[in-house]
Amino acid sequence: MKNTLRQIFHSSKFVAGFIIFVGILLLLIIYPLINPGNPLEMIGVGTFAEPGTYVSVYDTVTTETETLKLPDAAVKRLGNVLKEADRQKMADWLSAMEIDVSGLDLSDTDALLAVWKENYDETARPAGMTKAERNYYKRLNASLGSLGSAGKMTVTEKDSSGEEQVVATIGTEDYVNVKDVPNTKNLVLGTDNFGRDVLKELVSAAGTSIFIGLIAGAVATVIGLLLGLLSGYLGGLVDDIIMFITNIFTVIPGFVLLILISYSIGQDKRGAPVVALVIGLTSWTWTARSVRSQVISLRNRDHVNLSRLSGHGLFRILATDILPYIASYVVMAFILQVSSGILAEAQLSLLGLGPKTTEVPTLGLMMNWAMLYSAHLNGSWWAYFPVILMITLISFSLNLMNTGLDQVFNPTLRD
Amino acid sequence: MKGYRKYFGKKIIWFLITLVVAVILNFVLPRLMPNDPVAAITGKMAQGVTDASASQRIYEKYQEEFGTNKPMIEQFFIFVGNLFKGDLGTSFSQYPRKVSDILASSLGWTIALQLPAIIVGWLLGNLLGALAAYIRKGFDKVLLPMALFMSNIPAFGMAVIMLVLFAVKWKIAPTSGGYAYDMIPNFSWDFVKSVIAHYQLPFWSIVLISIGGQAVGMRSMSIYELNADYVKYARFLGIKDRKIVGYVFRNAMLPQVTGLAMSIGTMIGGALVAEIIFSYPGLGSTMFTAISGGDYPLISATTLIITLMVLVLSFLLDIIYGFIDPRVKAAQLD
Amino acid sequence: MAKVMLEVKELTTKYITRFHEDVYAVDHVSLTIEEGKSLGIAGESGCGKSTLALSLMGYYFPPLHYMSGEIIVDGKNISGMDPDTVRKNVLGSDVAYIPQAAMNALNPTRRISDFIVDVIRAHDPKADKKQIKEMAVKRFEELHLPKEALDRYAVELSGGMKQRVVIAISTILSPKVLIADEPSSALDVTSQKVVIKMLREMMDRGFIKSMIFITHELPLLYNVTDDIMVMYAGQIVERGSAKEMVFDPVHPYSRGLMRSILVPEDGTRSNKLIAIPGTPPNLKHPPEGCRFAERCKYAMPSCKYNSYPIMEFGEEGRTYRCGHSVEHLREVYANEDRQ
Repeated sequence: MKNTLRQIFHSSKFVAGFIIFVGILLLLIIYPLINPGNPLEMIGVGTFAEPGTYVSVYDTVTTETETLKLPDAAVKRLGNVLKEADRQKMADWLSAMEIDVSGLDLSDTDALLAVWKENYDETARPAGMTKAERNYYKRLNASLGSLGSAGKMTVTEKDSSGEEQVVATIGTEDYVNVKDVPNTKNLVLGTDNFGRDVLKELVSAAGTSIFIGLIAGAVATVIGLLLGLLSGYLGGLVDDIIMFITNIFTVIPGFVLLILISYSIGQDKRGAPVVALVIGLTSWTWTARSVRSQVISLRNRDHVNLSRLSGHGLFRILATDILPYIASYVVMAFILQVSSGILAEAQLSLLGLGPKTTEVPTLGLMMNWAMLYSAHLNGSWWAYFPVILMITLISFSLNLMNTGLDQVFNPTLRD
Repeated sequence: MKGYRKYFGKKIIWFLITLVVAVILNFVLPRLMPNDPVAAITGKMAQGVTDASASQRIYEKYQEEFGTNKPMIEQFFIFVGNLFKGDLGTSFSQYPRKVSDILASSLGWTIALQLPAIIVGWLLGNLLGALAAYIRKGFDKVLLPMALFMSNIPAFGMAVIMLVLFAVKWKIAPTSGGYAYDMIPNFSWDFVKSVIAHYQLPFWSIVLISIGGQAVGMRSMSIYELNADYVKYARFLGIKDRKIVGYVFRNAMLPQVTGLAMSIGTMIGGALVAEIIFSYPGLGSTMFTAISGGDYPLISATTLIITLMVLVLSFLLDIIYGFIDPRVKAAQLD
Repeated sequence: MAKVMLEVKELTTKYITRFHEDVYAVDHVSLTIEEGKSLGIAGESGCGKSTLALSLMGYYFPPLHYMSGEIIVDGKNISGMDPDTVRKNVLGSDVAYIPQAAMNALNPTRRISDFIVDVIRAHDPKADKKQIKEMAVKRFEELHLPKEALDRYAVELSGGMKQRVVIAISTILSPKVLIADEPSSALDVTSQKVVIKMLREMMDRGFIKSMIFITHELPLLYNVTDDIMVMYAGQIVERGSAKEMVFDPVHPYSRGLMRSILVPEDGTRSNKLIAIPGTPPNLKHPPEGCRFAERCKYAMPSCKYNSYPIMEFGEEGRTYRCGHSVEHLREVYANEDRQ
């Protein structure tokens, strides 16, 4: 046993898979400690807030300021305000005045402004430009000037008598330390379509999905193991009947049964454990087949015959003389079942047949929500990409472990 | 010849048995459940109807239409009889379209998309797996973990990534549908071009997913075959390495045909979900709209046609395998 | 003196394991075989006899590597040739091989006749397919093999038939040296006899000019080959005629090996089954002295440090490798048998 474990942990594939999987599990355990609360709480009112740190604008006004003179602050500020359309218009004006702007990068605020300031002349009349257009450029130029100059901004508040009281006057060189602002929120993966914290939701969903995978895997492995043991050991009619059923359910696609059953159960009765159970019930055939073939190769071994002659009962023989010899195969089958259970849940949820949506998030449900709200079409990558990556990583790590085990127990596959 | 006849006879009998069981399950499973589908549909249809007797009339009308007021056995024979006539009932979400009409229009799209994609993915995967096994060393070290990683990206995930990269970001392919939304299907060159453009992304994403799993399987098979005794013997008879590699890949690839027959159900399942991502007008999208519309007859018919498709494909693969691998014949003679 | 078919001089080859360790499985082996003669090679499993069989082909691929020495087949030195020339001009036609596990030696999905076409075309790419098939039918008839077997796949043949087909394919180019690596060990007694008879007949009819027969079943060697050579830890420890080796082994290891089996002939004085205690040395780090010293009950203290050369003695062609003189060993054995 100890030796086998050492061999397993010598397999680089197993170790790589193990590390990834344990890493994910640690994240699932530790993250809720750092960021507790209901993962389905809708903290955002809008949909799909971008990842980043959100700072309360209201609080910054009343927070102690420091004065910092940063050389490129004005340009950055301008860059933030100057829209893409305006930049294009500026370039158009310059071209109309026969100034070469082909080498100019429009997103480089500094360079664009330099050329603009050097060449813009209010009185110039570029060919084919209407008065209205010329006025637009005048306004644009004026606003550029005011943004660049150090104007102050005044924030006022209505007091009880309805008078406006000045709360703060904000200069361009006033800075607050983010630490001093009482309300900030770091949304590492932004919010989803319902305004929920995606990272918090993802961690909770991964937990539920792994739970579903484990239950589904356990159910499938127990059924498959029992049928495989009985079929392989007893042989004869029992074997024929069990194999008949197994073969039928190998050919009839499991996901079709999954869809039929899930749909029939109905949305309100479909909790995560029920979905897990149904997945397990429709995916045991592989395990039954492989356990059976293993048992057949074992059933006439000397130690089994000896046990039989000693009058040991069926279950004792199966448990003590056969099970220990096929344990490694069963573990490997279980790992694969867990991984395909997680995938099955995700696909089912995408079809709209996943677990009840009000209780817990699952990776499949998150994916389903992201797709229903077209996150993939409006550029909200944080709503779906981490989910895909999480499913892939979980399944990848499980499969790596399985491949590693396979190489330990089937030496022909070793490199 | 005796061996072949035995093999094919067995396969045909199995095909028929599984077909019967599949039809029975498709009929029985939904009816075993505590929910009364007719009540659910009536609830949906009678929304806003306050008069109890009116909703009772609606309920009875649907009972009549589905025949749920008759005993189960009788219902089953009516169901089977209708099946033979190609009558799968009437859709609810697209009333009064016939379910068979809806399926007839989507089945073609699914077959035209999935069959070539799975075959291309299978061939490319086997080629890569064989290369990885033959070259080994660094190539194998890079390619194998990559293939393993790829094969673990779920089908819908691959579809979304492809969609975002090629359609949304680089805009070199359309985002959804089977053809441009402002076109009416016809045989003009413009329409064909549009169909081809819409075909690319779903096709390649299914190909990419299939490649990974096949490559991993083919690699192990090839390594196993490369170490086989016949390889060593052939070498010592002076046969060229290139010829021997040919033997090995043929022998490693043959079991992959059975592998494909066994996994085609799962592969189609994944690809159907990928269809939804692209709103491809195939069975996957039909299933999706049927589920979200609570369209019970359409769901049941779609699952039945998918099952049928999987059964026929795996049956055909088994038959092909019987012809191309002499080991099958030998096994039947034992 | 008859024509020498195979002469091997100081051949050394090694395995490189996947942990990049060198294993010298064939260490300075020399031997000669004359036309029409057969040589048996005996030894425990892991003594290097199967590796010697592979090394004699002159065609090396990982993990086996050629180190030094010469292999001369019918006057042609093949050890310096480039691999593709060896493949094309030596394998099959000069030196042919019958593998240990004939059960799996044939590609399961290729018809026997197509495989024979592949074999012949590997040496003569322009050979006509029809002619090859006609020739194969003729050869099968000569060897009393059913010609229907040619149209079969390997999986359709029985075990004994597969072995005979493999022998027919190996010798299809009438090789000068046939190396048979335990060709009968996996077969039942009847099939074994058929195989042995077939090999002898091929020698008699000149389909093969000489043969090396490798086995751990010594009684078989006594009946099949003219000479016997005993290998231990990659080295030859003794060689002599089959009769001498069975009745009068000189090297302590040969004696142990011969006594550990039952030779069904009158005159063998001791029929006790005596296994040699211990295991062969690890060839990753071979002992510096006599390699058998660890297990040898006649070993002197100096045996652990002195490696002995192989020496001729007595009648022509007998050699042995030991620190004791032949006379001393014979005397010790005689005393032992008397007790």
